[in-house]
Parts: sequence; C-alpha cells; structure tokens
Amino acid sequence: MEETKVQFQTNVELPQEVITRITDAAKGEKVLFAVAADLTMEARFGKAFLSATDKAIYSFTDGDAEPMRLEYSEFEKCFVKRCYGNALLRIRRTEDAEPENVIRFSLKVASLFDAVAIFCERMHEGADPTEVVPIVEDAFIKQKSVCPKCGRTLLRPGADCIYCSSKGRFFKTIVKYVMPHKWTLLFCMFLSAFTTALSLISPYMNKTLVDEVFPNKDHKLLLTVVITLLVAHILQHAVGILRSYNLRICGDKIVKSFRSDIYKKAQYLPMRFYDRTSTGSVINRISGDTSTIQAFMLRITQEVIVQLFLLVGIVIIMLSMNWKLTLLSLIPVPFVVMGARIFGRKIRPFYVKIWRRWSAVTSILTDTLPGIRVIKAFTNEKKTIGNFDYYNEEWLKTDIKSARITITFPHITSFLISCGSLLIWLIGGAQVIEGSGEITAGLLISFISYTGTFYGPVNFFANLNDSFQHTLAAAERIMDILDAEPEHDFSGGDHPKNIKGKIEFRNVNFSFDRSKKTLSNINFVIEPGETVGIVGTTGSGKSTLINLLMRYYDGYDGEILMDDIDIRNIDMTFYRSKIGYVQQEPMMFHDTIFNNIAYGADDPSPEQVIHAADVANAHEFIARMPDAYDTVLGERGTGISGGEKQRLSIARAVLKNPSVLFFDEATASVDSETESLIQAAIDRLISGRTTIMIAHRLSTLRRATKIIVVDKGEILEMGSPEELMALKGKYYKLVQIQTMSEEAEKNRKEERFEG
Amino acid sequence: MNRLYVDSNNAKFKRRSLTTVDMELFDGTVIENLEPRRLFPISGQTRYISLLDSDLNEKGLIRNLDELIPADKKLILECLAEYYLIPVITRINNIDDQRSKIIFDVETDRGHRILEITHLVHQVKLLHDKRVLFRDANDNRFEIPDINALDKRSRTALDFYL
Repeated sequence: MEETKVQFQTNVELPQEVITRITDAAKGEKVLFAVAADLTMEARFGKAFLSATDKAIYSFTDGDAEPMRLEYSEFEKCFVKRCYGNALLRIRRTEDAEPENVIRFSLKVASLFDAVAIFCERMHEGADPTEVVPIVEDAFIKQKSVCPKCGRTLLRPGADCIYCSSKGRFFKTIVKYVMPHKWTLLFCMFLSAFTTALSLISPYMNKTLVDEVFPNKDHKLLLTVVITLLVAHILQHAVGILRSYNLRICGDKIVKSFRSDIYKKAQYLPMRFYDRTSTGSVINRISGDTSTIQAFMLRITQEVIVQLFLLVGIVIIMLSMNWKLTLLSLIPVPFVVMGARIFGRKIRPFYVKIWRRWSAVTSILTDTLPGIRVIKAFTNEKKTIGNFDYYNEEWLKTDIKSARITITFPHITSFLISCGSLLIWLIGGAQVIEGSGEITAGLLISFISYTGTFYGPVNFFANLNDSFQHTLAAAERIMDILDAEPEHDFSGGDHPKNIKGKIEFRNVNFSFDRSKKTLSNINFVIEPGETVGIVGTTGSGKSTLINLLMRYYDGYDGEILMDDIDIRNIDMTFYRSKIGYVQQEPMMFHDTIFNNIAYGADDPSPEQVIHAADVANAHEFIARMPDAYDTVLGERGTGISGGEKQRLSIARAVLKNPSVLFFDEATASVDSETESLIQAAIDRLISGRTTIMIAHRLSTLRRATKIIVVDKGEILEMGSPEELMALKGKYYKLVQIQTMSEEAEKNRKEERFEG
Repeated sequence: MNRLYVDSNNAKFKRRSLTTVDMELFDGTVIENLEPRRLFPISGQTRYISLLDSDLNEKGLIRNLDELIPADKKLILECLAEYYLIPVITRINNIDDQRSKIIFDVETDRGHRILEITHLVHQVKLLHDKRVLFRDANDNRFEIPDINALDKRSRTALDFYL
C-alpha cells in the first residue's frame, strides 16, 4: 500500500491505515486536522477518530464501517456533553432538534473536542478555515506542552522538563546545603578521626594488662597503662564535646536554611498545588521532613566517613594480631549485608504509608482546630474526636506493622554479630587452653574487644539503609515542593511602564478539573477607568473570572489581555502590585491593625495608613479602640467584626494605590448600615480606576457603566444597565426579584416600626 | 420546597436519548428530556436518583430504583450506565512509580487502559477496607469493587499504594 504523507495536524501519531481512511473518505476536500478519541460509542476503550475538512466533519467510530459525514451547514450547534468519566461530541441540526452523538471519548481528550466544537460552530457561521483551524492547533500544542516522561506542564511546548532533566537531585540538594558549612564539617570529621583513634587504644591496653602486667606483677607498667587510658578518656570526651557542639550548630543552620527555602518556595507555588495538597501535609514537610533530612545529612557527612575509617583501622589491627581469627570474625558480615538489603526493600513502603497516615492526622488538625467555633456551635466535639481517632488508629495500625520489621531487624543483626564473637571464643579459647602459644589469653581478650568495636561500623552500615529509606521518603515529599514549578516562572516578565487598565478576555475557556467546564468561550473588553459589574447566580463562574485575572490559575485556553498584553507575559510581581483585590471574606493576620493595613505596602508612613483608613471609613472605629492602630488582631483577624475587617481590607487596597480594582462580593456578609459605610468607601476608591465588581446585591452596582451577566460559565448578556433592562432578559429578572424582595423587607420594617 | 418523589405509583418513563428519558406523571403531564443523575454516585448506585431537565433543574427524585416497575428501572439504569462511565479494574498488569506520577497499566471490564495518578492521597481511595476508587489525572473514574477478589499479584502490587 502506498504511504500517504500526513498533511494535517493530529493529537497522536496516526497509523497509516487510519490516515488512508481519513484521506479516502474526504476525497476532493482538504483535510484540516484529525483528532483521536479513546472510546467507542459503546463506551469501551478503543480507537475512534474525527477528521475535519473544509466542508465537513467525519467520525470514524465503528471499526471499518463507513464514517459518519456531517457538513457544517447541516447542523446549527456543536457542543461537548460532559458526563461522568466520559464525554460526547454532539450536534443539533436545528434549534429544537434532538442532539445527535458524533463521537465518544474520555475526559483525557475532552479539551481537544471543546476546541473542535468551537471550530465547527465557526465553520457553520461561514468562517475562513485558516482563521479557525488555529483554535484546534492551540489545543494540540497545549496537550503537547506536558513532559512525556512525568506529565508535568512544561514552561512552553518542547521545553526541557525541570523535573526530569535533573538526575540525582537529592544528593545535589544535600551538597547545596552542606557546602556552606564544609570547613566546620571537615573540622568535625578530623575531631572524629582523632577520637576514633583514641578509642582503639583501650583494647590494645587489655592485651598489655593480661599478658604483661598481671603475669609479671608489674606495678610501674600498670600505672603507665592506667595513666595512658585516663589521658585517652579525657581527650576523647573533651574533643567529643567540641565536636558535638560544632555539629549541633552546623545541623541547626542547615535545617534552618532548608526550612526557609521550602517556605519561600511554598509562597510561590501556584494555587493548583494548594488545591490538591492539604495544608497539614505542607506543614509536615516543612517541620518533620526537614529534620529527617538534616539528621541524615549529618550522618552521611560525618558518621559514614568515621565509621569507614574505624572499620578499616580495626581490620588492619586485627589482621596484624591474628589473620585466622580475623577471617572468622568476618563470617557474619555477608549475612548482615544481605539482611540489610531485604530489610530496606521491605521497610520503605511502610515509611511512605506511615507518612501518609500521619499526614491524614495532621490534615484533621489543620482542618478542625481553626474551625473550633463551628464544632462547638454544633456540639460536634464527639464526632470530631471520633474522626480524629479513626485516622490516628489507622496510623497506629500501620506503625505497628512497620514496628514488627524495624524492631526485629536490628536484633537479628546483633544476634549474627554475637554468633561471630562466639565463634572466636570457641576457636580462639580452645587454642588458649591448649597453650599452643599462637594465641595468648591477652590477645584473645583484646581481639574480642576489637571484634565488638568492628561490628559497630558493620551494624552502622547495615542500618544505614533504614535511615536512607526513611530519608528518601521524606526527600521525595520535599522535592515535590522544591521542584514544583513556581507560578512566576510562567511569565517572561514584561514590565510595562504603567497599567492603564484596559482588560480583554479572548476566547477564554477554563476548568478546575476536566469533568466540568467552569468558563466557556468568554469574550469581553473593559476600557480603562470603566466600572463593570459581574452578576450571576452562585456557581456561575463570576469569582473564577477574578481568579484568572489575578493569575491564580494560568492554565486556561484563550487569552486575557491587560493593556493589550497577555497577562501571562507580564512580570507577576509588577502585575499584582497594580491590582487591588477586596474579597468577600478578607484575610487578616495575627498582627497590629497598622501592620494589617500596611500589608503589601513598602514602609508606609503613619499618615498614609491613617489616610487609607479614613478613605475606607475605618479610622473612626479604629480610633475608638483602646490600643487604636496598635491593636493586635487574633489569628485570622478575630476581635473585630466582619464589616470592620472588610473596611481594613479596603484600606489595604487604598494604600496600594492600584490601577485596577476587583471587588468580590465585598458587601455580601454585612448589614445595611455597614454596607452603606463600605459602599461609600468603595465609591471614593474606584474613582478613575478600572473596576470589576461582583455583587449579589445589584444596588451596589449603581455606579457600573457596564454589566456582564454570567450563567453556567458563559456570558449570557452584556451591556449598560439601561440596555439590559430594555432587553428584559436575565438581568431584568434579577433586578425585578431584588426590587420585590427589598420592598417586602422595607414593608416588614415599617410594620414593625408602626407596631 | 416541594419536591416530587417519583415511584411506580405516580410516574412512568420512556427512553428519549442516550442519557435522557421522558417522564409521564399520573395526571398525564409529560416532562421531556430528563437526565437521571445519582445524588450519591459513590455510596448509592440505585438510590436517590435526581431527574434533571436541560437547564439542570430537578424535576423529580427517585428515592430507590426498586420503587419503579422493572421496565422503568431497567431504562433508568441504562441511562445511568451511559452517563456514568466507571470501568471496573479486573487486573493490574504493572505499576510504574515515577515519583511525580504513578502509571497504572490495568485491564478493565471495558478493555485495556493506562491511567495516570498524579496525587495518590487524593486520587486513590480505599473504602471499607475493600473497595478502591481511582480518579486519574484527567478526572476519569475507575473502581475495584472488592480488592480481595483481585489476583494475588495485583493485590500485592496495589497494597503499597493504599
């Protein structure tokens, strides 16, 4: 069969047979692209394809059967129907017609078919294929922008994966943190070698005592031996103190810089990381895992070398004393080494499991303790305790299972080592009794002492694997943070002179997960200085628009432009410094009111802070507090009301002097009186700035020049309030409903007043 | 809020499309194009089935599919089977732990599949010591109804990740 050269884009490499089928089916038409799906129409995993030409789409879903051909003029609507674990591309021939299924696929390729659906609709409208094919090509490029090895998103298509390109990163990381302390560590190593050499004197003295001092009743030599041992002990402990102190300081410095780096990195991780990683797990990594790694770093930089030195030294001394006994003492070594390997293989899964169980426990803590008021309000203490106990019990079960191995292994090692000593006693002792002269009682006692010391390093190296496996599990979790791609790395870092505040959304599609689209085909332009209200029901996608504008999530399709520049290309720090964001539930920190307002500003003067508080209608209530601006708020701002927190948050925004302002339901959870205070503050703040306001209460949008109505992630209506009222659509209905409920509320109040 | 609880005494159904049905109430009212959705897709396969119209407004609620006549029950179950694709894993061929993601090479009742797990704790859940639920990196779902029913090799391979 003659090979047909692929002239069109695809998401996977297509077999020649499929290419032929696609080109044969589309005879006389220009094939623009083909997309491979992964489900048959019967929902079985298999191959299915959809190809698009300049005139029609073809779906190959049924083995070798003829493809389904649909001309763009045949249908009015093309869309993706997302189900649970699968999705369907559907068309509707007329407005009222039943939807028809074109092709089925898993959610893995759903975003590709979203692009296909937009393409089809544009083709139906008569668009030029060269203009709309890039929509699908962009989706192909995005899908290829992941590392084929690890699946992480790359900085750009074809870029090297920062995760996979680095080999032996764990040891590189260790070196990075150890190097600044190399001289201290070398000094400690020298001290270790010195104390180790001193420790070898004692067994040798045993031989002198048994073979020379006692048989000859030599008091002078006895005194010399005792004084030598005394000096050796004094030196050993004095040097030991010096070494331990230096090591402790060094270790503390290493763990401090390690923790700081992880915390620093954690600040720059994208929101997606925090969406999938519990706070408890991050806290665990910063606190517990760093200590585990620090301990291991010191072990390998100190103990490994010292123990190796000790091992070689003892073997040389033992060989010089008696080579036969030395060989006997080596018999258990292969068994110990083999045991260590088996142990390492068995124990590692347990360390990972224990950590997971412990993370679940800490997640409960970080989840429930901050919500203790809610727990008490619902008298849910017993249930909370029960939940905690369940996970704690799970941790216990896993820990007990691992304890069986971790406790047994060192004892088996010690037993094997004891067997080695017994062999020496048995064979060496027999020779001493026979009095052959080759082995004296002193030599045997001295040899046994050296054997005991010799097995110390053997035991150390055997158990090092346990320590290494434990550390490796911790290192993996830390690397998860250290190697995660920080959000600011996405941008090339354009630094415009100023932000005027023109905002544009172009074909923006976004989903938090692939099962449900949060935003679909969003297009709008906001001119500099304009005040725009976004309205819609809960869950319609209003806050997601702000999340994307704040660049909390960069993984959307389409473009968001600020002053005609893609916001992903603007330097993140600069970009966010030009935005004031007032949230529904403002976050306050455990700090003074002054510092909470000054948060994010560069060393503002007291007058600036007071002015900001004034603009935000906050100064009066602050001044009434006994400690005024020095009042320390509790964790998450406890001690002041919701409305007061909101005004502090507006003061923060005032101090920042932003070019663009976002208000996300800023007055949603306050009473009418507080709302009017906040509204007055907002009115003062937004003057001359591009402002986007999300509000349930439409009365708060009275200054809006444009309203965008969002529903189910799509823009339903857009225009001035007057235009939308005239349209009598969704906005009109929302205004009607709110006016009625406000009037009813007013009447109720009047009745109560009259009564 | 008035909720219409549907059972064989007040409604009957007719299949409309792959995932939808038409519901005729005892008074003759016909509500078209309703999509049955599970309110408890993990814990209740045949209980509390919500019937949503094309605007995703609930038009009725089936407490238990057993309260419908067998033909209607079958029809609703067919719709649910089309909407909810949760392949059952029957064997684990291989697990490749690449640290940043774990690749599960599995056989399912829908054919062979390679699925990627990027966050083990969130994406693989063991329920009641035997049922295992998977949500892969693309939000596709998989299930092992009883881990003890798997062959020993699959069980041993999986055990480390639970």
